[in-house]
Amino acid sequence: MATESPGQSAAWMLALDDHLSAAVGERELIHLIETPTLLEAPLSPYYCRQVMLWNHLLLPALDLSAWLWGRPQTDRDWKLAGVVAYQTAPGAAPDYGALLLMGVPQRLRVADIQACPLPKHPSGWREVALSCFRQGENAIPILDLPHLFTGGLLTC
Amino acid sequence: MNRPAPTTLVELRAMRLFARLTLDGYQWLLPQTEIHSLESLLDIDPDVRAPHSIGAIGLGGEWWPVYCLSGELQRLRQIPDSRRTCVLLDNRADRFGLVCDQAETLAEAPRLLELPACMRLPDSPIQALALLDGELGCVTTTEHLAALLAALAEDDGGY
Repeated sequence: MATESPGQSAAWMLALDDHLSAAVGERELIHLIETPTLLEAPLSPYYCRQVMLWNHLLLPALDLSAWLWGRPQTDRDWKLAGVVAYQTAPGAAPDYGALLLMGVPQRLRVADIQACPLPKHPSGWREVALSCFRQGENAIPILDLPHLFTGGLLTC
Repeated sequence: MNRPAPTTLVELRAMRLFARLTLDGYQWLLPQTEIHSLESLLDIDPDVRAPHSIGAIGLGGEWWPVYCLSGELQRLRQIPDSRRTCVLLDNRADRFGLVCDQAETLAEAPRLLELPACMRLPDSPIQALALLDGELGCVTTTEHLAALLAALAEDDGGY
């Protein structure tokens, strides 16, 4: 069984598109769905135009790369969605959302010494990330899931 | 126009009976109690115009303004070929017609689900979501549609 040393934790690295990656905590990604059935919702933000049925719940399917680039990514054929769980307060029941992904998430161990500044581009990382770590050549922002899924992007 | 208060999920679930209006493939659900009648498109008089309407239907000695909206509830100036019927909506405060591709009463109460917080745009008329035979339905009310029509009119500045 894998264990983490003090100052280390496990995370999933998520491919948001061909250029952007982000991470969530190991326990935040709870399910992967291949070729998700996405239902179009009218009058929705351009980065969250679809919902997905999962366990009798309709989850918002967030295209975070669209928000980060500031434009809708048209005609994208999503092959993968990651169901994520988050809590809006300590002890609260978990809520769920879905992140649209371009590839299979990669499990990583992250040490405190890997902490690094957020990428400057796209500038929206400051709004959606809690912190960041370096993985090889890349800075990988760690997503603030409650902020993303409770409407934090609507006011940006 | 003041923004109408959101209709809670509890209030909507208590309504039970809903009508499904199809607009360009999108399914919009309204409380059945707010459906006054279905009328023929042929009964729309294009010469009787309230602002931003496509005409009006005369019924019971009154003119009901009729509007044409896309599936995304954008105002259309002309009726698309897919529109087949006109639904007259009445909640005792607002009365108007909406041309639709199809309109039908749902046989069973749909399971209503909250619109996710990250999808709630300000002034959205969507009060809840429902899954209907694998398709998504958006629940709204006559009051919220009336507010949307008023907002569209303000944005256009009249014509």
